[in-house]
Amino acid sequence: MTENPESREGRDLERVLADLRALSPDIRSCAVLTREGRLLGSSHPEGVDRERARAMLEALVGLVDEVARENGKERALQARVRTELGHVLLVRLEGGAVLAATTGLDARVGLALYDMRNARSEVERAAKEAA
Amino acid sequence: MRRVLGRVLLLGALAGVALALRRYLEREEGGEEVAEITFDDGSARVLAAGSAEGRELSEVARKLVELGL
Repeated sequence: MTENPESREGRDLERVLADLRALSPDIRSCAVLTREGRLLGSSHPEGVDRERARAMLEALVGLVDEVARENGKERALQARVRTELGHVLLVRLEGGAVLAATTGLDARVGLALYDMRNARSEVERAAKEAA
Repeated sequence: MRRVLGRVLLLGALAGVALALRRYLEREEGGEEVAEITFDDGSARVLAAGSAEGRELSEVARKLVELGL
């Protein structure tokens, strides 16, 4: 039986993101939003929740980039947003994609961002293959 | 008469201090950091919870944390 290369590449990104979660246990969930607005590596199966997560992440990245433009910058490289439930962390990838993660309220956010930046090249490679 | 005037002035001063303290505390609350954004040139901007941008970002982020990725 021949394995579908697309699904193998998707699993590669899932493995890279699973490694990131294992390395940084404060990260509750993580995924990649491509420049075209596709959500890769999400823990949600295809359906309403995945589409909602995609749309909200796209909106958040749009707001962050709007702040960048208002400040005369081309774009944001990294962002952390605190809420009463936890944090959302964003790290820009090559080509305009974004690695996003959610954490709890008591997470060591600096450490999680450090791990996300360290995983960036591997995530970029796997996301490029999966896209 | 002088005693009454003194008390009125004291009450006025106390009310002024209370108002100033309340405004200071409200300013501190509004100034609570909610987001930090680092730009491509290495500079960063911190957004306060009281700002329109901060509130908007926090609201979308809260839904995302709730739902998960």
